[in-house]
Amino acid sequence: MLWLLALLPAAGGAALWASGVRARRPLGLAAALVLAATAALAGLAAAGGWTGAVAWSGTLQLTAALPPMAAAVALTVPVVALAIAVHAAAHEAADGLARLVGLLLVFVGGMQLVVIAGDLLTLLIGWEIIGACSWALIGHHWREEAAPAAGRYAFVATRLGDLGMFVAAMAAYAGAGAFSYAALSGLPSPYLEVCAFGLVLSAAAKSGQVPFSPWLFRAMAGPTSVSALLHAAALVAAGAYILARLEPTLAAAGAAPAVLAIGLLTALAGGVVGLLQMHGKKLLAASTSAHYGLMFVAVGAGYPGVAILHLIAHAGFKATLFLAVGIAGERAGSFDLDRMGYGRALPLVAAASALGALALAGVPPLGGAWTKEKVVAAAGHAAPWLAVATILAGGLSAAYAAKLQFLAFGRHGPAAADRPAAGERAGLALLAALTLALSLLWLPPVNRWAAAALGAELPPGKAWELVASLAIIALGVFAGWAFARRGASAPGAADWLGLPALIDRTAGAGVPALARAAARLDDRLFDALPRLAGRAGQRIAAGLAEADGRAVDAGVRGTARLSERLARAGDRFGEAASDGLVTVPAALAGQAGRAARRLQTGMSHHYYALGAAGLAAMILVLVLGGL
Amino acid sequence: MLTLAILAPLAGALGLALWRETGETAARTAAAAVAALPLALLALVWLGFDTAPGAPTFQAVEELPWIPSLDVAWRLGVDGVSLPIAAMSALLFLGAILWPVETDGRARQYFAWLLFLEGVSLGLFLVLDLLLFYVFFDLSLVGMYFLIGRWGHGAAQQAALKFFVYTLAGSLAILLGILGLVLAGAGPLSFDMRVLIERQPLEGAGIAAPLVLLAFVVGFAVKTPLVPVHTWLPPAHVDAPGPASAILAGVLLKMGGYGLIRIPLSMMQETFARYALAIGVLALVSILWGALVALAQTNLKRRIAYTSVNHMGYTVLGIATAGALTAGAGQEAARQLALTGAVVEMVAHGLITGALFLIAGGFWTRTQDYDLDGYGGLAGRAPKLAAATMLAAFASFGLPALAGFVAEFQIFAGTFAVFPWLAAIGVVGLLVTAALFLRMIQKLFFGPLPETHRDFADLGRRESLVMVGLLFFVVLIGVWPTWLLAVIDHGAAVIVAGR
Repeated sequence: MLWLLALLPAAGGAALWASGVRARRPLGLAAALVLAATAALAGLAAAGGWTGAVAWSGTLQLTAALPPMAAAVALTVPVVALAIAVHAAAHEAADGLARLVGLLLVFVGGMQLVVIAGDLLTLLIGWEIIGACSWALIGHHWREEAAPAAGRYAFVATRLGDLGMFVAAMAAYAGAGAFSYAALSGLPSPYLEVCAFGLVLSAAAKSGQVPFSPWLFRAMAGPTSVSALLHAAALVAAGAYILARLEPTLAAAGAAPAVLAIGLLTALAGGVVGLLQMHGKKLLAASTSAHYGLMFVAVGAGYPGVAILHLIAHAGFKATLFLAVGIAGERAGSFDLDRMGYGRALPLVAAASALGALALAGVPPLGGAWTKEKVVAAAGHAAPWLAVATILAGGLSAAYAAKLQFLAFGRHGPAAADRPAAGERAGLALLAALTLALSLLWLPPVNRWAAAALGAELPPGKAWELVASLAIIALGVFAGWAFARRGASAPGAADWLGLPALIDRTAGAGVPALARAAARLDDRLFDALPRLAGRAGQRIAAGLAEADGRAVDAGVRGTARLSERLARAGDRFGEAASDGLVTVPAALAGQAGRAARRLQTGMSHHYYALGAAGLAAMILVLVLGGL
Repeated sequence: MLTLAILAPLAGALGLALWRETGETAARTAAAAVAALPLALLALVWLGFDTAPGAPTFQAVEELPWIPSLDVAWRLGVDGVSLPIAAMSALLFLGAILWPVETDGRARQYFAWLLFLEGVSLGLFLVLDLLLFYVFFDLSLVGMYFLIGRWGHGAAQQAALKFFVYTLAGSLAILLGILGLVLAGAGPLSFDMRVLIERQPLEGAGIAAPLVLLAFVVGFAVKTPLVPVHTWLPPAHVDAPGPASAILAGVLLKMGGYGLIRIPLSMMQETFARYALAIGVLALVSILWGALVALAQTNLKRRIAYTSVNHMGYTVLGIATAGALTAGAGQEAARQLALTGAVVEMVAHGLITGALFLIAGGFWTRTQDYDLDGYGGLAGRAPKLAAATMLAAFASFGLPALAGFVAEFQIFAGTFAVFPWLAAIGVVGLLVTAALFLRMIQKLFFGPLPETHRDFADLGRRESLVMVGLLFFVVLIGVWPTWLLAVIDHGAAVIVAGR
C-alpha cells in the first residue's frame, strides 16, 4: 500500500506528459490534484502505519516503511511540490510544458520512494531515479547547447556519489546478508564503516556539499521551477534526509564527526560564495549548499530530528525565494541582481520574498530562525567552538539573504512590470503562508509537539548562543546591505571559490585525455597481436604452399579450393588466415588423433556417420554461401 | 520441442535458400514466421519449467543416440541458465529479422543466413552434448562471417575475416579443452555434459587441469570478449549491418559467457576456484578498459561496441565470483547472487545492446554516417527514436527500474562479499558508462539540428514494433524481475552448490 505514495505521482506525471496538454490552467490543476492526493495519502499512511514489501527474489527484498521522520518529509515534499508545480504551469515557457510538469511529478514520485525506502536496495532505486529526473529537468531546454550539458554534469557528479550508495549496499550484504536498514545496526566491522562512509559520500554529492557543490551551480541552467523543487524538496534534500534517517548507523560507525566537518565547511564556504554572487539563482544555490551543510552539522552532532525540522523550514523559504527570484529574473530577462530592483513594480512578490529572506537570514519569529537556532544548539552540544562556527555561518546566511532582498526587490528598479499570473501568485502565496505558519515553532507547546511527533530529541539551547546569534545576524544584515550597495565583486571567488575550475582542469580534462590515450593504445597495442599473428601466418603459409605442391592428395586439394574461395574474398591478411584454416586444423587433427587413441573404437560406421554429418553441414554452408 | 526449436530455423534457412522466386517482403515474412516458432516453443518450455527446490536441474530433456561408443548423442535440455539466454536469443532474432535493412537485392540469402544463425545459436544454448556444443560454436562463426562479409559496409570483408579467424583461433583452444576434459578421468568415455558435471574429470589431475582451464578461458575470452583479445569486435560491429551487429552483441557474445558457466565453472570447479581471482581481475580490466575506451570513441557503433566489452566484463566478474570456493558459510549465497546477476546481465545486455545496435543500424540506413559529431537536435525530428535510444542507453548504464540495474546490482553485491576490492573498483565502470551514454544522447538528440538532417525520418511502424518488443522486457525485468530470477536462481543454486 505504501508504494502508492511513490507510484501515484509517478504515474500521474507520466500520464500528464503523455497527454501533451498545452493549456496552462488544466495542466496546473491536474498536477495540483495529483500532489494533493499524494499528500493526503501520506497523511493516511502515517496515521494507518502502512508498510510495503515486494520480493524480487529470495535475496532482493524491497521494503517500505514510514517512521515519524519519514512521514514528516513525505508530507512536506508533495505540499511544497504542489505550490511549485502550480507555479511552473503558469510561469515556464509553453514549449514542452506538459513534459516539464509531468517530469516534476515523476521526480516527486522518485523522492517519495527515497523517503519511504526501508532498505538500501529500494533506496538506491529511488536515489538513482531522482538523479535521472534531475538530468531530464535541468536539460529541459534541450535545443540549447548549455542546458543538456549542465544536466549531464549534474547527473555524473551525483552518480559519482551514488557509487558510495552502491558500495554501502554491497557492504551491507557482505556483512549481514541483507539490505534492510534493520540489518545495518548489526554489521560487523569493517562493513559497518564502509557502509556508513559510502552513505556519507552519496549524501554529500546529492546535497551539494564540498567538494560536490559546483554541480548545483551548473544546474541553474534549468528552469527556475526545477531549481526550486530540486533545492527545496527533492534531489538535494535527499542527501540530508537519508543521513538523518540512518543517523544511528553513522554514529555507530564513527562517521558522525566527518558528517559534521563536511557540513560546517560547506556552510561557511557556501555562505562566502553566496555573499559574493551577483547571479540571483546562483546565490540561492550557494545558500542551498550552506543550509544543507547546517543539516549535516545537526546530524553529525547527533540530532537528526533537528536536521529534519530545518529541512522542512528550508523547503518552505527556499522554494519561496526561488519562485520570487524566478519571476523577477523573467521580467528582467536575466538573473543578474544588478538589473532587478522590483520592489515597486511587484510589491506582493517582494513581500513574499521578504518573508523568505527573513527566514533564510534566521530572523525571529520565523520558523527558519528557530530551526537554525536548534542547529546552533546541537553544534554547541558537541563543542562550544562548533556553536560559534555555526553562528558565523548563520551570520553569512543573514548577509546574503539581505543582499538578495535589497538588490532583487529594492525600490530602485523599474516602476512597473507584468503582473504575475494567477498560478504564479498562488504558488508563491502557498509557500509564503507555509513559511509564515512555521513561525509557530517558536511557541514551546508547538515545538514540543513537533519534537514528539518526530520522535526527536531537541538539544537544550544556551542563552549566550541565542544572544550571540542574534547579534551576528544583525551584523550580517548590515553587511548584506553594504554588499548590495557595493555591487559586483570578486567574480572568480564567487564561482564557488574556484572549485569548478579546479575540477574542470583536473577530472574534467584528465578523464577524456586518459580515455583518448587508452583508445589509441587499444588500436595500436592490443590489435598488434592479431596483426602480427596474421603476418607470421602468411609467411608460414607461403612455405607450406610449396610443400603442398609436392605432397598432394585429392582431399587436401579439395579443401584448398575452398580456401581459395575464401582467400579471393579476403585481402592480404585474409589469405594467410584462410590458409591457416586448412593447415592448422589438419596438424591439430593429426596431433589429436595420435593423442586420443581412445577415440579409435574400430567401429567404422560411426566414423561414416560423423563424416556424413560433417559433409551435410558443409553442403548446407556451401549452398547458402554460394548463392 | 527443443529439437523443433533448433531444426525449424535450419529448415527455414534451407527452404529460403532453395526457394528461387521470391521478393524481399515474402522472404522477410516467411523468415519472421519461422523465427516466431522457436520463440513460442521456448515460451512453452518456460511455462512448464519447474523451479521448485527439488526439481531436476535439466528439464525438457530430449535424447537420441548417435555414436554410442563415444557416448555422443543428440541431447537437448534447459536449465535455469540456458533457458533465459535461449529465449532472449529467439526474441532478438525475431527482432533482427523484422528490422528493415538494405539487402542489396539478395534478401532471400540474407534471411536464410539469419535463420541458419538462429538455428545454430539456439542449438549451442540448448545442447547437453559437448561435441555438438563445439559443432554449433563453429557453425555460428560461419553464419556471422557471411552476414558481415556480404551485407556489411566499409571494409566489411576484412572485418568479417578478422572476426572469423580470431574467434576460430579461440574455438580451437576450446576444442583442445574439450578433448582434454573428455579424455581425462576414469570411467567410460562420454560427451554428455551432465555426466561430465557429475564426474568432474580433472579433479586432482595435476598440471593438465590448469592447462585445460587455460584453453577454455582463452577460447571463451576471445568470444566474450575480454581485454586484451577483444580487438576483433569493433571492426566487426562497425562494418556489419545493424541486425547482424545486434545478433553479434546480443547472442554470439553470450556464447562466451554461457560457455564459461557451462563448461569450466560447472565441470572443473576445483581448478576454476583456484584461478577464480585471476579471472576476476581479467574481468575487472575489461570493465574499466572497455568503459574508458568507449568514452573516447566518436563513432556511434564503436562506442556501443566497446560498452559490450565493459558489460561482458561484469558478466565474467559475476562468473568468477560464483566459482570462488571460499570457506565462509554465508558466501554460498553471495556466489549464487553473483551468478544470477551474471546470467541476468547476459539477458539484459542481449536485449539492451541488441536494441542499441538496431538503432545504430537505423541511423546508418538513414544517413550512412556513424560520426556522432555530425548529429544533433534529433529529439524534435525523431521523438520515437530518441525515446527508444534513451531508454536503452539508460538501461545500459544500469539505471534502476530497467534491466541492467537488476543484473549489475546483484553482480556487485555478490562479488563484494567474495572479492571486495574487485567490486569496489569495478563500480567505477558504472560512472564512466553513465557519462559516455549521456554524452552520446546529448550529441545525437540535443542542441541545434544540423541543416543536413532536416528530413531525418522517425522510427517506422516495423521499427517501432521491434523496439517496443525488446524494450518492454527491459522495463519488465527492471520493475518486476521475479519471474526471471526464479528460473535463474534455480539453475545458479545447483551450479554454486556443486554436484
